[in-house]
Amino acid sequence: MIFRTAVEHAKRHPSLIPQFFFICLGMGGACLYLIRLAKGPHVVWNKTKNPEPWNQLDPTYQYKFVAITTDYKNLKKEGPEF
Amino acid sequence: MSETIEEKIKGYRTAPFDARFPNTNQTRNCFQNYLDYHRCNKALSAKDQDVAPCDWYQRVYKSLCPMSWVAKWDDQMENGTFPGKI
Repeated sequence: MIFRTAVEHAKRHPSLIPQFFFICLGMGGACLYLIRLAKGPHVVWNKTKNPEPWNQLDPTYQYKFVAITTDYKNLKKEGPEF
Repeated sequence: MSETIEEKIKGYRTAPFDARFPNTNQTRNCFQNYLDYHRCNKALSAKDQDVAPCDWYQRVYKSLCPMSWVAKWDDQMENGTFPGKI
């Protein structure tokens, strides 16, 4: 319903189209980043089944988008198993 | 190159990069190594193995954690009031 009114307004005032586009882009980007944060390893969703999700990663896991100095491919688990 | 854990402990300089904790805030890294040290001790002594490899975790948390935190947690461990799961 709200999309119908938006499309009608846009047909009458085409200058509104950039505004709708940027609103969608911003809200969509914010939503996607929230999802990335929620799926991140630092969040505990299930305290009984998976209380420390960061321990379930492999040592070459890269969370950041750009790795400038860190050589992620050659990392390995440091401490002893127990 | 896979060196034994004794060689790694002997050549220890500082805590290595841990991909689980890539950001500036290393609080969780400190706490996790403290927990891992005590869990390692508990697990290896339950299996009657030598607990010397667990010293790796001790070196790491001593590098990372403020001394006041370590002292507080050690006191809590002695009193049995430590909040973490060992």
